[in-house]
Amino acid sequence: MSTPNMVLLIVSGLLALGGALGTVAANRPLRAAVALLVNIVALSGIFLSLHAQFLAMVQLIVYAGAVVVLFVFVIMMVGATEKVPRTLRGLTPRTLSLVLMSLVALMLVFGVVYVAMPAQDLPEDYGTVMGLGAVLFTQAALPFEMVSITLTVAIVGALAVGRGRTPKEAEAAKAAEAARQLEGAERLAEERRISAEVSAHGGH
Amino acid sequence: MNELLYERALVWIILLPLIGAVLNGLLGRFADKNLVSALGVGSVAGSFFLALVCFAHLFTGMDAANEHGAQIAVTAYQWFHLSLPTFGGGVHEVGIDVRFLMDALSGLMTLVVTGVGLVIHVYSLGYMKEDPGYARFFAYLNLFLASMLILVLGSNLPVMFVGWEGVGLCSYLLIGFWYQTPAFAAAGKKAFIANRIGDFGVLIGMFILVSAAGSFEFADINSAAPSLTQPFFLGTWQMGTLATAAGLFLFLGCTGKSAQIPLYVWLPDAMAGPTPVSALIHAATMVTAGVYLTCRLSPVFMQSPVAMGVIAVIGASTALLAASIAVAQKEMKRILAYSTVSQLGFMFAAVGVGAFSAGFYQVFTHAFFKACLFLGAGSVMHAIGSHTDADIFRLGGLHKKMPKTSWTFLLAACSIAGVPLFAGFFSKDGILLGASELAYSPEPLSANWVGGFVLVALTLAATMTAFYMFRMYFLAFTGEYRSTGEEGAAHGAHDHHAYDPNPHESPDTMTWPLIILAAGAVSLGLLGLPTEWHLTNWWQGWMGHSIASVHAAAEGAEGAEESGLTIAYWTALASGVLAMAVGIGAAYKLYYNRADDRFRDAMPGRLYQLMADKWRVDELYQRVILGPLAGLATFVGWIDQTFVDMLLTRIPSKLALLSGFVATRIQNGRVYAYGAVMTVGLAVVSWFFVTPHPNLEGQAEGATAHFEAAAGMGYAYRWDFDSDGTWDAPTQGSEEGFGAERSPSHEYAFSALRGRVLLIAQPDGDDARVLVTEEPRPLPASLLPAGWMEDPTGDATLPSVRLEGTEIVLRRNSAVFSTPHGAIADEEVHLGIGDHVIVGRPETSRTDIAVRGLVEATVEVENAFGNRAHESLELVVNVPPERSEPAQARLTTATDEVLR
Amino acid sequence: MAVEFPIGIYIALASALFGIGAVGFLIRRNALIQLMSIELMLNAVNVSLVAFNRAHPETQAGQVFAFFVIAVAAAEAAVGLAIVISLYRLKQTVETDSADELRY
Repeated sequence: MSTPNMVLLIVSGLLALGGALGTVAANRPLRAAVALLVNIVALSGIFLSLHAQFLAMVQLIVYAGAVVVLFVFVIMMVGATEKVPRTLRGLTPRTLSLVLMSLVALMLVFGVVYVAMPAQDLPEDYGTVMGLGAVLFTQAALPFEMVSITLTVAIVGALAVGRGRTPKEAEAAKAAEAARQLEGAERLAEERRISAEVSAHGGH
Repeated sequence: MNELLYERALVWIILLPLIGAVLNGLLGRFADKNLVSALGVGSVAGSFFLALVCFAHLFTGMDAANEHGAQIAVTAYQWFHLSLPTFGGGVHEVGIDVRFLMDALSGLMTLVVTGVGLVIHVYSLGYMKEDPGYARFFAYLNLFLASMLILVLGSNLPVMFVGWEGVGLCSYLLIGFWYQTPAFAAAGKKAFIANRIGDFGVLIGMFILVSAAGSFEFADINSAAPSLTQPFFLGTWQMGTLATAAGLFLFLGCTGKSAQIPLYVWLPDAMAGPTPVSALIHAATMVTAGVYLTCRLSPVFMQSPVAMGVIAVIGASTALLAASIAVAQKEMKRILAYSTVSQLGFMFAAVGVGAFSAGFYQVFTHAFFKACLFLGAGSVMHAIGSHTDADIFRLGGLHKKMPKTSWTFLLAACSIAGVPLFAGFFSKDGILLGASELAYSPEPLSANWVGGFVLVALTLAATMTAFYMFRMYFLAFTGEYRSTGEEGAAHGAHDHHAYDPNPHESPDTMTWPLIILAAGAVSLGLLGLPTEWHLTNWWQGWMGHSIASVHAAAEGAEGAEESGLTIAYWTALASGVLAMAVGIGAAYKLYYNRADDRFRDAMPGRLYQLMADKWRVDELYQRVILGPLAGLATFVGWIDQTFVDMLLTRIPSKLALLSGFVATRIQNGRVYAYGAVMTVGLAVVSWFFVTPHPNLEGQAEGATAHFEAAAGMGYAYRWDFDSDGTWDAPTQGSEEGFGAERSPSHEYAFSALRGRVLLIAQPDGDDARVLVTEEPRPLPASLLPAGWMEDPTGDATLPSVRLEGTEIVLRRNSAVFSTPHGAIADEEVHLGIGDHVIVGRPETSRTDIAVRGLVEATVEVENAFGNRAHESLELVVNVPPERSEPAQARLTTATDEVLR
Repeated sequence: MAVEFPIGIYIALASALFGIGAVGFLIRRNALIQLMSIELMLNAVNVSLVAFNRAHPETQAGQVFAFFVIAVAAAEAAVGLAIVISLYRLKQTVETDSADELRY
């Protein structure tokens, strides 16, 4: 591997790791979003080192340009700009998850890091717009169209979920909730009565 | 006539009422009432007719001086066969046949049962006419009759016991006939339970007798009676003789069935049943079954003075006790019930003093006059409209209104009171004679004082009998009717039933039976005229062959003639007549044409109250027995609820709830908890993939073994077949190389063996392995068959085995080794791999011992992560001889059969 | 290009990123940060796909696959954020711990 490539890889790799750690460990959500952005840009660099130019660009456009922006929108809307308070709730399962998952990841990392495979010559249009486009519109045409539909569905879904309730719907939901509470209380009372009867009869 | 005909007739005597019972029981309620009546009465009539025919046949043959007397016997089939231990060690082979026998005793009894039964069936036509359970009543009544006939005609104890239980059952069914009233149903239950307690006694007595005599047949038991004087041991405690034990246990059954002390308490309550039931069952037939049993087994009882004494004393005491209670009762059926208990006491007292035939004669006469009295009471109740009972203090003057009933009642009362020349006089006289003879006898059967006690007690009882009988008669039938108009209304206000102010005579179906029975009560005395008057005593003649008696024992020595008018005779006669006179006289003075109870006023209050309260015996039983039993039942029920329910229901349910509670806490709805669980699973799976797993399996066929290791991602293998520490595959003798060979085969040579092993075939199909070492070791006895030694007795040394060079040396010691060619006699046997010997004596089960080689193979596995693991496996191979080095003294057995 | 392509480094990097993303998802309470961790994991997968494609460059299947992964990840982020907004409307907070009603 050529030296510039290696340098690019190392820098991008370190930035990616740093950005990931920053996302995971950030105090405030907004800082986490910025760290994610750093990570994504670094990943774009990694793609470049792998000769996947088109993908690097797509990564920047879609991820950095849309997904992270969306995250920032929502953070602003929700108002989660303050420091996230730390609690001790659920400490044990969290610690357990942390330890085990770290072990698994470390095992993977140190298991594979020395593996190498024989290098091969790259085709002419490897990783270019033309090359990928040729595949996308011929062999992968169907998945390509499906992805369009998926995106449409996602839009509709997001709209539906995020719409919230009109006042009338809110009323109806409140009434339904009250009715459900009542029924639950009734059933509980009924069960208590039956079990009292059963134990009074001595289980006969 | 043809004997076979009579035998068949005998069976049909029983079958007819049985068929009637089944048909009426199953189909009666759908049929027309007249049809039911015809079937019910007709079956009994047919039975009676056949009984007459059979008895007539017997009668003509009875004068023949036959050893057993005349009899008709028929065996239906063998019921079952038992092997029973006897008292002296050894075993009896006892067959139980369904066999019926009619001799004089059972013949007369059959006649009574069917005759009186027929009369009562006819009576029931009128009495039960309006009852909705008409068909059911006749079915039960027929069934009772059939059971009673089985009891009486049974030729051995088990068949008799079948009938015994059957009448107990029918008694329960009939007493509780109007079961809708809880008190009546309870009375039925009480009767059944008291009877069951007695039945236990009968069973024990039966078992004692069969163990001693070797047979259940009456004839065999009676002829074996003299042998019953051996002592009887309950464990190590001697409880008298066999005869005493059997007699006492059987008598316990009689106290239950025939209402003696202590089990009489069911009889007065049994008046809850319809009156014909009281007449038939509790006067004429069932209650006399106990007396019948003692008469049947009279030779056995005669062997035991203790038993006889006990019977006499209890009988006399019962007679006295019951009579004293009857004196203070005011309802007709109740008085008659206690009277029955008392009269049964008379019968047992007779049996106890040795006057068996007199006792049985009393059975005979009692059937007639008591049944007549009961039916008369029923007639009165029918007239006044009462279903339960008739209070004599509310009656009176019925002689004018119901003359037929009144006259028959009077005649029967005279008979029971012992008015001379009536039947009851002769039977009672016979009993008193037996008692006084015992009292005066120079060689008493049991003891003189027993006789004296019985005489005095029975005289007193007879006085009271006459008294209460005529008290009842005078109060009910003389004077003026006390339940008309205002007086009746005044009385009716206290109880719930007002009597019919205008009673009239009963219909003919009810009065004709009364007349027939009264005629019998009067005239049947002619059968048993005392021999002292030098008149023919038919009765004793008939009974002589069937029943033992004191007279027979004495007469057998001198000759058959009467002993004349002794002082014993005069004592008895005087007591009887005196009792009757005093009793009737007192009753006349106190109650004739009167309405009030001057007797009660004259008696001390507390005493009278005790008598009226039946001496509080029922209350005593309740306190002492029934109350504690109920308490025990409650306690056990509490234990069940508290402990058993706790253990079996509440604790498991709590456990289930608890486990559910614990298990549901896992789902707390929070993402991190679910995530943690998933991570744990992921970690486990990762661990599984990171570590290699060899999972070695192997199979040996002859000298070739085939191995297989597990396949895995990126696994590489290397093998060591001969456990020499060097890796043999993928390349021979390689150190580092791993290959892809997952399932190689290897053919073993002799030098590749790790050791030698003996395979001993085990009964469960597997082979046990014994490793052979240079040190001699014995073969474990647990692996050898049971017959491995030469000499089963005495000490045996186990064979041992050791390794010598390349051979196995088996040292035989005390074992038996052989080959297919014959036994091995040498002390030491040399074997090589592939040889086998057989161990064990020829006549026992033998096992095969084979010699094999042991190999151990190892595989090491490396996975993609670079982790290694290894596993070893031991296999048994049979290396063919050409692969082994030559051995020394070999067996000449053909080893080619070993090569498969 | 050297004779050998050191794919191990790329796979190790992808594994590390994946691990960090997974740990972040399991540990953090804030729904938005959890979603970001999910995006991290998806990105790690993309890296490994492209690296393997680089090792077997005869087809461009790996990159095409990664392309689709990006598209679907975007869609998923959109829907996920809509859900977070709903949660916020209901509970006035974006902590996932508050969404614990679906339990025993």
